[in-house]
Amino acid sequence: MFQIERKKKNDMRSIKKYLIPVLLVIVGFNPTLKAQNDLQISRVFDQYGNKKGSVMVELTDEMLEGYDFSLFKSITISGNPQAADFIRKCLIKDETGAKKVKQVVANGVLTSVYLQLPRKGQLYRLILFNETFTPIEKITLIYIESKNDSEDVLKLILKKK
Amino acid sequence: MKIRIKNKISVSEADRLIEKYYEGLTSVKEEKRISEFLLQEDLPERYAVEKDIFGYFGQKKQKKVFSISPFIRWTGVAAGIISVVFCLHVLINAHSTNYACIDGVKTTNMTEIKTQALASLFGMSSKTNEVEEGFKNLDNHESVEQQLKIFSVAEH
Repeated sequence: MFQIERKKKNDMRSIKKYLIPVLLVIVGFNPTLKAQNDLQISRVFDQYGNKKGSVMVELTDEMLEGYDFSLFKSITISGNPQAADFIRKCLIKDETGAKKVKQVVANGVLTSVYLQLPRKGQLYRLILFNETFTPIEKITLIYIESKNDSEDVLKLILKKK
Repeated sequence: MKIRIKNKISVSEADRLIEKYYEGLTSVKEEKRISEFLLQEDLPERYAVEKDIFGYFGQKKQKKVFSISPFIRWTGVAAGIISVVFCLHVLINAHSTNYACIDGVKTTNMTEIKTQALASLFGMSSKTNEVEEGFKNLDNHESVEQQLKIFSVAEH
């Protein structure tokens, strides 16, 4: 009786011992998990995406203007200077290890930046941020994941329309 | 020495039941209690004979446990892994739908989504060669060489 109970306990222990690491490996190495989750700007989408005055878009594996994006995520916020400050703080953290393709600083305040992030697996990643003040204060933040080279993506999507 | 097991059977009680067993007067329940008592480890040597008699049943029971347990265990582990992978797959696919959220109102209309996506991209577009210039700025080798040249001229 006691031996059976002890065996059951040992079985449970061995299940926990093997199952938990296996699950961690599955979760940790699942390639379909969003690569943006390690970025601070994901908080911007979470925080301001559903608010009034915001337009948030998420496209997965879709063609846009002839370009194949694995993920396209954008948010446009109008008349919310606090959001702009919050985005700037997030960008300071996210630009670590990233290449700055373009940066505009007006009166000591960052108003535009294009960041080429380090690749994550097969994915090239880009962050684009722009703030305009005319006719109204408007912020645009875009996050792109693509299997194509990020320089090509930038050249294509930022050409004058 | 007083040995007690989970269901509170004492040594004297066990002795009484064993005696009853030899007389052929025990019930099934009482025999079960004896066998549970005898399954304990570190019993005094005097129970060796009874252990042998009841051990037959005990071993038979254990054999059954050994033959089924690994199968159940690994089936359970495999089922757990499959369910987790399935749940993750469903969760991620559910998360990867295309949508636009305008003033807090969600839409899944693809035309509207693409229009909004292009509008946000349009907000980023600038001079035609601005991006190319940006890439050139990333490559600082030329400017470094030019600066070094100044020093080499000064030496001559």
